[in-house]
Amino acid sequence: MRFLVVDDSTTMRRIIINTLNKLGYTEVVEAGNGREGIDRVNEGPVDLVITDWNMPEMNGIEFIRALRSMDGKQNLPVLMVTTNAAKDDIVEALRAGVTNYVVKPFTPDTIKEKIDAVLTH
Amino acid sequence: MASPAPAVDPHSTQPLIETLRACVHDVFGTMVGTTLAEGTPLDGDALRPQSNVVGQIGFGGSSSGLVVFYATFDGARAITRALLGMAPQDEPSTPEVADAIGEIANMIAGSFRTRMATEGDAWAISIPTVTMGSDFYMTALTDGRRTMLPFRMDGHEIFVELVITTKVRRA
Repeated sequence: MRFLVVDDSTTMRRIIINTLNKLGYTEVVEAGNGREGIDRVNEGPVDLVITDWNMPEMNGIEFIRALRSMDGKQNLPVLMVTTNAAKDDIVEALRAGVTNYVVKPFTPDTIKEKIDAVLTH
Repeated sequence: MASPAPAVDPHSTQPLIETLRACVHDVFGTMVGTTLAEGTPLDGDALRPQSNVVGQIGFGGSSSGLVVFYATFDGARAITRALLGMAPQDEPSTPEVADAIGEIANMIAGSFRTRMATEGDAWAISIPTVTMGSDFYMTALTDGRRTMLPFRMDGHEIFVELVITTKVRRA
């Protein structure tokens, strides 16, 4: 399994990657914004994307829309991890093509549950 | 001619303070993995924390103001180590500390925004700004209500301030 973690905060990328490593997922690539995220997807296979919403250059919603328009990426599991948790935010993210949603702050167990849920979706 | 700005009703801000307090506990309990001890909230300028690392986020909507997070260098480093899973003897870099505290402020303000949204208040929040140093003074230039929430984490004092600005009623 190869994960892509997209977040402009190096702290949040490290937290998510540490959590993935503890869950046994060691193949992880990173990106600091949506545009870099698209570059990473073009560079090699990715099995699950974990992305933030609020990022410079290309935010998470724009990134997901761009991802979904790429050949063969319509069903790539995407987990959004964000502080944007109002009902309207979640609806917007689902319409953009997010598979599942994690609200910050989160526990490692929450990340595990959501990953398991999107992989069996 | 504009009417004088109405005073912020303490009764209307108390629920905000309680919500913010809960958000701070949630962020530290979940992400930093620690339970904070609480001090007595202080209003106005009664306490200006001796701090070296300050993370600040603005919010606007039915209420407007700031959420400000204060820590010493040692406290901020301890928080950073906990967030990043570093060993106790590791020394996080200045950019790592700034990013970590910015993320803490972001999660506190973001949780605050979400909880207020569930109660019918639609707010937007700004990006966090982090100031670090050893000789600076910070205050919000407002006649609104300011409440400082003191906490303690493993011997480190941290503070979260809620600033609610007044709204000017124009004739």
